[in-house]
Amino acid sequence: MKIALAGNPNSGKTTLFNSLSGKIEHVGNWPGVTVERKEGRIRKALTDRNEYMAIVDLPGAYSMSPYTEEESITREFVQTENPDVILNVVDATNLSRSLFFTTQLLELGIPVVVALNKADLISKRGIVLDAFQLSERLSCPVIETVATSGGVGRGLIDLVDALRQVEGTKQKKVLSVNVSDAHSKQEAVELEKKRYEKVNEIVASVERRAVSSHKQTLQDTIDRVVAHKWLGIPIFVGIIYLVFSISQAWVGPFLADIFVSWIDAFYAWVEGLLPETVSPVLSALLLDGIIGGVGALIGFLPLIMVLFFSLAILEDVGYMARVAVVMDRFFKKIGLSGKSIIPMIVSTGCAIPGIMATRTIRNVRQRRTTAMLSPFMPCGAKLPIIALFSGIFFADASWVGTSMYLLAIAVVIVSGLIIRKITGDTSQSYFIMELPEYRIPSIKRATVSMLHRGKAFIVKAGTIILVCNAIVHILQTFTWDFSVVLENAPETSILATLASPLAFIFIPLGFGIWQFAAAAVTGFIAKENVVGTLAVTFAVTNFISVDELALVADGSQVMNVFGIGSVAALSYLVFNLFTPPCFAAIGAMNAELESKKWLFGAIGYQLATGYVLSFFVYQVGTLITTGSLGGGFIGGLIAISVFAGFIIYLINRPKGSVILSKRVHMEA
Amino acid sequence: MSMRLSEGRVNSTYMVSKIDAEEGGMEEFLFTLGCYPGEPVTIISRLKNNMIITVKDARYSIDSALAHAICV
Repeated sequence: MKIALAGNPNSGKTTLFNSLSGKIEHVGNWPGVTVERKEGRIRKALTDRNEYMAIVDLPGAYSMSPYTEEESITREFVQTENPDVILNVVDATNLSRSLFFTTQLLELGIPVVVALNKADLISKRGIVLDAFQLSERLSCPVIETVATSGGVGRGLIDLVDALRQVEGTKQKKVLSVNVSDAHSKQEAVELEKKRYEKVNEIVASVERRAVSSHKQTLQDTIDRVVAHKWLGIPIFVGIIYLVFSISQAWVGPFLADIFVSWIDAFYAWVEGLLPETVSPVLSALLLDGIIGGVGALIGFLPLIMVLFFSLAILEDVGYMARVAVVMDRFFKKIGLSGKSIIPMIVSTGCAIPGIMATRTIRNVRQRRTTAMLSPFMPCGAKLPIIALFSGIFFADASWVGTSMYLLAIAVVIVSGLIIRKITGDTSQSYFIMELPEYRIPSIKRATVSMLHRGKAFIVKAGTIILVCNAIVHILQTFTWDFSVVLENAPETSILATLASPLAFIFIPLGFGIWQFAAAAVTGFIAKENVVGTLAVTFAVTNFISVDELALVADGSQVMNVFGIGSVAALSYLVFNLFTPPCFAAIGAMNAELESKKWLFGAIGYQLATGYVLSFFVYQVGTLITTGSLGGGFIGGLIAISVFAGFIIYLINRPKGSVILSKRVHMEA
Repeated sequence: MSMRLSEGRVNSTYMVSKIDAEEGGMEEFLFTLGCYPGEPVTIISRLKNNMIITVKDARYSIDSALAHAICV
């Protein structure tokens, strides 16, 4: 039995999908979280015997008419895959809109079961609903559910029962209108209006509202402050700062210390297990290469988890949709819309789903620009780098993380302007976004979201990062003639000789040291590698405990290990944050940009951005702190002039060819 | 001469008379939300270039360009 889960955006579909299937898909209190369809099976606790009930979570849609990508996915699925039952999730607090889609679903001839979700909210809102009568009027079962409640979830057993009962039956239509019979667009619109009339009539007979939804509520007062034209921005900055204070300065390090002591214990335990006869090269590979490298990264896990948790709480409350409203004004100015903020917020977790979320943007240039700029947001993998450098060089200051987010937003704004100039496309599009209701955040939901995102991090650390660290370790252990590198000549290793020429181009950025160059390169494979590679190449396995670093540095200053000062450290941080995030994200960009020209443009642009920003951070920072410019200034300036010259050329070249190629794309 | 929603007052309810959107598909999308000629729209608040409106039982934030495209 195949069940399709359909409903309006933010009706609680994904939450219901999670409670039915026992999976933990990401849920946010704002529309557009689900872009791709997700499949699962109803968990055993809800089914009996050995029945197999497959369930597919479809992106939210307001109707069957194709307007956005999400709606086309829903339509195609329902029409081509022939699910046995459609489970229509209806937001009980907004029947008058939701039932429009419901009546369209009822016409497909597939049995429908309506889950009247958010049933707990109706009484709170002074709404009285007659579910029995609604079921009569729609001629399909209507079950009240509370997908967010703990345990089995209210109404879920009844829901599964209803699904079972309607299987194989023929769904009765409730409307005599048949839009496919319409001969003209005008006629179709008239028929759809009849549908609304019918819906209004049904709603009028089953629903009683004590408070009209047109009245001002406390929510609206909050919105007036949170989304205020000027107050909105300092509030956003304040909240992000608070999130960073909690994750990087208060709770995070406390948990991280506990974690690190476990890793150290594990290291010592493995060391103890190794027999004396084992070759020192092999034991170093295992201990410093693998356990050290992965351990350095895992040590940051608590900090990241606390951050994910805090962001999940913000999402759950409903604040993120307001951020989109506040940002829309600025995004308009750069030729994007407030909708572009959603992929960017998603990218703060991971750029890959963020890039995929751009699919909901209809304007081709806006979609491509957003896909190209979203990876600038600091993702989960970049957090250990932020945490590492703010911990070692800036005494865990919360401003480091916060400023990186603000810098990311600034980069996005400037880049948007540049891209708009390059494409010469100044078209605007309207902005409309549903504002979900604020709600009390749930610790459980935030925990689930945190674990979901954290899991991906751990899996990566245990696979690709582990392999990379092992390779890095081997490359730095051996020279080109496969003899072990001598202790006093680390620069003879394969890794050092490979990375040294690269280090040369980093001199103007303040970190022309081969270890940093090597870490920057492995960082292109995955950003998590940066911390791991630094740990392996500098042979420092515990970054979080500054005491240990101090020991490694023979009691002298901690930063001596790295051989760079805090200005260069900030520059290195910026470089890693603004260059392409990882191979996987480049793959996702390739899929969404649908153009090799845009893909190479995006990668080139991201590399140049990282270089330019990092150059300015280092040179200006050095000028301020020491009174003179940093090394390699002229060389860096030449490189930057080349980038700038190329961009100016792109902006000023005749635009005819661009418009032509766009037209071709639209026809294709 | 019809009035535009963008000229409307906070806390007032208006009847939509026409959707005058330049972008293709927007009129149809607004329709699926229940914002079409003959339906009421209430302005909840105004925030610089955005306004918050109620259509059916949901709140939306729209920009001034879209508010201008809704004739009431």
